[in-house]
Amino acid sequence: MSLEQLDKLVENGEQQESEALAQKMLDEGVDPVQILTTLTATMERVGDQFAKLEIFLPEVMLAGETLQAVVEIVRPKLASDNQMVLKGKVVLGVVKGDLHEIGKNIVKLMLETSGFEVRDLGYDVDSLDFIKAAEEMAADFIGASSLMTTTMPRQQEIIEFLKDKGLRDKYKVVIGGAPCTKGWADKIGADLYCEDANSASKMMAALIEK
Amino acid sequence: MAKKLLIDATRGQQTAMPPWLPYAGVHCAKLIDTSAEQFLKDPALLAEGVVHAARLYHADGIPLLFDLSVEAHALGCDLAWWEDNVPSVTTHPCQAGTPLDAGLEMFSRDSGRWPLIFEAAHMAKPQLDELDCAMLGLVCGPLTLASHLAGPQIFTALLKRKEYAHAVLEFAGEAGAQAARFYAEMGCAIIAIVDPVASQVRPQTFREFVTPNCQPALEVIHADNLTSTFFICGDCSKVLEEVCQVGTHGFAVDEQVNLGFVRDMAHRYGKGFGGNLKLTSALMLGMIDPKADALISLAAGGNHGYTFAPG
Repeated sequence: MSLEQLDKLVENGEQQESEALAQKMLDEGVDPVQILTTLTATMERVGDQFAKLEIFLPEVMLAGETLQAVVEIVRPKLASDNQMVLKGKVVLGVVKGDLHEIGKNIVKLMLETSGFEVRDLGYDVDSLDFIKAAEEMAADFIGASSLMTTTMPRQQEIIEFLKDKGLRDKYKVVIGGAPCTKGWADKIGADLYCEDANSASKMMAALIEK
Repeated sequence: MAKKLLIDATRGQQTAMPPWLPYAGVHCAKLIDTSAEQFLKDPALLAEGVVHAARLYHADGIPLLFDLSVEAHALGCDLAWWEDNVPSVTTHPCQAGTPLDAGLEMFSRDSGRWPLIFEAAHMAKPQLDELDCAMLGLVCGPLTLASHLAGPQIFTALLKRKEYAHAVLEFAGEAGAQAARFYAEMGCAIIAIVDPVASQVRPQTFREFVTPNCQPALEVIHADNLTSTFFICGDCSKVLEEVCQVGTHGFAVDEQVNLGFVRDMAHRYGKGFGGNLKLTSALMLGMIDPKADALISLAAGGNHGYTFAPG
């Protein structure tokens, strides 16, 4: 039984075996932080492979679901020992008029496993609700995803509403989604454009460290 | 405008110039100052918008409608309607079991929005013929329709619950054949199988699930001597060879793929190819000069089997 085995099982999306192994490792006294650190690296590798088209959506979803199941087993141990180092707080959602949330869910997973606290607003989220949730949570980031060209202007709307309310400098606005580009992010004044889930966690961590 | 030009290019033939195929979609609604929802629910508005767009843009062909929820809706999926977009599928009848388990029955021409689509086609077709503009029928592809019927879980089922996935995809393929039958009946000269999410799977998975389940629709299209094409979205470079082998006369890609790569692959397989004017950055947001972008696409596409179209 080893972290290497767990790493491989999660990468291959073997959920039951991963859950059993994680439980056994915890019972044997393996540090839960070590497990999560390993699996964060696993998901980074999965994300890299996905970005290079070496693996595809089904494989990423399976690995993600498996990771989530393992995190559920490990989380109680982490909470009791208070070992989590919080990198930042994120309000995350798919913009109004858009119901496509597979990508957003993968981003959420990557952020959570790399130390961010995420409040997931789901899909079809009104621009004002992003801001309301960010205020409630005292978030560092507002992450808005759009998969359709026609809903991209909602990302801009969030930024405009933040300006109107005098809150623009309070939050880093991060955008993503298949049709989005760095150029679009620059045009609307977003703080960050993330091309994929893997880069999201890395770039957001780098931005908050600045 | 030249319908024949578009058919020849889609069939991979040399043409005097590349035909132009705007996928106007719900932009047609904006052109006639109505909402997407009204446009898609009213046959007279649908016909008016499509014909107006064809005339305005001097199109060689135009889809009767670009809405991949039609088949899903006719099979019992609920929809969320938008003012400025096509509807989204909100419920998935095969979430808990196969189409057989869920008691799904194949739709008829009286199901869902098919009656209004027939009516719109009846009004639009003679006007498009007068413009020498081909009317295209767009069939929802098997993987996209399966994702509507089963929800996002279909993607993991492709690997972990193959029997279930095959059952849903086979049903989706038969639904595609039924839709193709309807579009052929409406007088569409070209019928496209539109499977945007097919770029999200590996080549083996494409060959196992997408290719065989396009065949029922292709049999219908080719039996009527109509022209077939396959539309795919996203970065499809890894499955482009599978797209070329799916059995259609041509295919079309979106802005994420290099058109030179696409052209070379299409020529290797003797296929027509379409794309890939940058829909987002040029046409919608104007971040790239659309004229310059068009010239780049035209230069890359050439005159051999190429259709100039948004990507």
